Amino acid sequence: MRQASAGGSFAATTRKRSVGYYLKRDWQLWVMILPAIVYILIFCYGPMYGLQLAFRDYDFSKGFTGGQWSGMKYFMQYFTSPMFWPTLRNTFLIAFFSLVCGFPVPILLALVINSIHSKNGKRAVQTAVYMPYFISTVVMVAILQIMLSPTTGMLSNLLKAMHLVPQAANLMGDASSFIPIYVISGIWQGAGWNSIIFIAALAAVDSQLYDAAKVDGANRWQQVWHVELPAILPTIIILLILNMGNILSVGFEKTFLMQNALNKSVSEVIATYVFNVGIKSSQFSFGTAVGLFNTLVNFIFLVVANQISRRVADISLV
Amino acid sequence: MKGKRILAALLAGCMVTAGLAGCGESTGGGSSGSTGSTATSGKVKLTALFVKHSLTKDVTKMKWLQQLEDKAGVEIEWQQISADWDQKKSAMFASGEIPDLLFNAVDASGSDFVQYNGLFADMTSLIEKDAPNISQMFKDHPETKTLVTTTDSKIYATPSYQALWPKTNGTMYINKTWLDNLGLKVPTTWDELEQVLLAFKSKDANKNGSTSDEIPMDFNGFDGAYGLKNLLGSTGMQITGISPLGYFAEDGKIKNYYVDDRFKTVMKFVQKLYKEGLINKEAVTQDYSKFQSVARGSGKTAKVGFTWGWEAGDRFGNELKDQYVAIPQLKESTDTQKVCYSYDYYDLNYRSNSVAMSNQCKDKDAAMKFIDAFYNEKNSIQVLFGGMNDTDKGTKENSDGTYEVLAPADTSIDPGTWKWTNTFADDGPLYIRDEMKTKLKLGTDMQAVTKEKSVYDDVLNTVDPKKNVYPQQFMKYNQDDINTMAMNQANITNITDQTWSTWMTNANKNIDSEWSAFVTSLNNAGLTKNLEIRQKAYDEYLKTVK
Repeated sequence: MRQASAGGSFAATTRKRSVGYYLKRDWQLWVMILPAIVYILIFCYGPMYGLQLAFRDYDFSKGFTGGQWSGMKYFMQYFTSPMFWPTLRNTFLIAFFSLVCGFPVPILLALVINSIHSKNGKRAVQTAVYMPYFISTVVMVAILQIMLSPTTGMLSNLLKAMHLVPQAANLMGDASSFIPIYVISGIWQGAGWNSIIFIAALAAVDSQLYDAAKVDGANRWQQVWHVELPAILPTIIILLILNMGNILSVGFEKTFLMQNALNKSVSEVIATYVFNVGIKSSQFSFGTAVGLFNTLVNFIFLVVANQISRRVADISLV
Repeated sequence: MKGKRILAALLAGCMVTAGLAGCGESTGGGSSGSTGSTATSGKVKLTALFVKHSLTKDVTKMKWLQQLEDKAGVEIEWQQISADWDQKKSAMFASGEIPDLLFNAVDASGSDFVQYNGLFADMTSLIEKDAPNISQMFKDHPETKTLVTTTDSKIYATPSYQALWPKTNGTMYINKTWLDNLGLKVPTTWDELEQVLLAFKSKDANKNGSTSDEIPMDFNGFDGAYGLKNLLGSTGMQITGISPLGYFAEDGKIKNYYVDDRFKTVMKFVQKLYKEGLINKEAVTQDYSKFQSVARGSGKTAKVGFTWGWEAGDRFGNELKDQYVAIPQLKESTDTQKVCYSYDYYDLNYRSNSVAMSNQCKDKDAAMKFIDAFYNEKNSIQVLFGGMNDTDKGTKENSDGTYEVLAPADTSIDPGTWKWTNTFADDGPLYIRDEMKTKLKLGTDMQAVTKEKSVYDDVLNTVDPKKNVYPQQFMKYNQDDINTMAMNQANITNITDQTWSTWMTNANKNIDSEWSAFVTSLNNAGLTKNLEIRQKAYDEYLKTVK
């Protein structure tokens, strides 16, 4: 990750040298990065040869690479399946609302935490808000089930008492409340953790900038607007781009655990569909094809977001 | 993001391991190298996997099993799995690395044998050579052999037969104490049921001073054994089996009840009950354990009025079981001529693929002899009800050659739980001979089962097994059909799941006006095709029925 403008001038002034020269000169650095490279090669690039499964009829006795070539059959099967639009729409909606509602919260949280003056208070708040991140998804969904039970749920009874939801509502079994529950509980769980990177960026802001702003008569709000936000803007945009790359990667575990017959119309996403058909019914080729399609869409989103950001704000990945 | 990564890792893992398996086969298999070797004690060492019930204790602590292993001259290294096997299975099978023996681990329909062709050993000749007990079972009950024989005449797994189980799984219960408290009679029609449930709801049926804690009616899903599908019989529809995905046979034709008008009738009735607040609000969203625990009430105070279950002690606990009575099938209305009840005899008494063997097993003869040992008369009883020794205290043999199931040594536990905790129970391979109907004295739970379910004897005895029974585990399919059905079924189930639950819980839905669109969507999702495939297999099956 770097700003596009930062490295350009350096590259232009140095002469072209062979790869070996750089390897020799920076060998300590290469050694340090070696484990990461090996990891990526083995666990990210290595298994990719299995992607050909999406274009073959899987045959156990012949292994991954031995099945009959079937071209785009499994992709067409998915595109023409009655589940294509529902799963795509559900995945997109959940991801969209998670991003739109969930992305600004950590930034606000970071700004608030940064403005707490007491050192102990700051630590206490920070710890309190990022603790939920360590709750496992299974436990998290169990908590939701208990809190939102229509008869004994503390939270659902509170909401009913405040007339925020209908008296007869069964929140866990209601298609219209699935996305709000998913998004809000996600924010509660993840906001504190995600704010850490912004807090770190804010800590790096030069204190002279604050002093200068104060001398110019800036109030607290103007300091946030003119000093802090610009300082963390590159971080915000980079994270936004990275998140765009996951637009169709809705968490499998949580959707799967929260799923029931009543909310299935909105909770059946690509990941749970792949699980049901690909893994549980052993339709490996079909599962691979759908997974590959999902990844391609993510990739396109990532590249497009990156391009837009490069054109508009001159900030991008690579 | 994290979930995606885990899924990706899982899929990647599958891919890598299956790739390795491809290499492994040519070099003679990886991990199974250690198996089949002879241990220092002179016994044959084998590995085995057992997919067990969540209650079942460590099988190596079962003394009868130790005795059985010793006698068969084998030493088994057990791998035990009690949760999420259907998710772990694909990864293990696709890797090609499986233990020598697989107990209760392969799909009942045999689709695993088709899907993972070459992974499992054909036992046909082994059974003839090494398995006198299994051969005996095939002779006494030829249908058990049909059950496991594939379309190309191979046998990849041994079946089980347990003779003693009833013809139906779910019993319909009503709280008799509540009825007596309110001076009501046992309902016989849907209208009467509705009146009774209304009274349960409004009149403090359990006499604890609160009118809000009674749940008039509860059930477990639509097509579960204890689900709403049991009401379909009121309309004269004969359904078969524990989890049939809606498929049933009528006059030799395979149909699906989700596209049948009688399903619509049931849904309209249930929608009305739900609207009146008579059905547990959490009926759709609760899982099985919550479904069970709610009905156990608190202390002597019952919570549920009308529901389905296996046996009163199992469903309501020892404290409350006496409050409930089993009632005969309800009629849709007073002019209903014929009622039916789910016919589950095949599901309860036969299991198709109890034990399978890896093709890479080094000593197939020893393994086959070990499997066969489970099927002898005495061992089968031990498998099902617990060991005949002073440690296991499950069963005993009397001097006159009869057997007896002992009451649980721990009196706080009901007999069903005791059995599932202490032995393989219904998940083990076994052959209970027909003569055990008289020679084996059953535990109190099974006696209760027989007594409770006798209210359905009349309707179940008139069922025509050649026309109206659809035992799905007997059906054979080829690879293409299995793939097509799996794909279509995922789409179909997705629609049916959300539709029945929405219709029930949302009184604004007009079932009549949505009906034809629903039927069309199911047919388009592949139901027409699936029915065709199933009909073909059913016709083949009928040829084997005498």
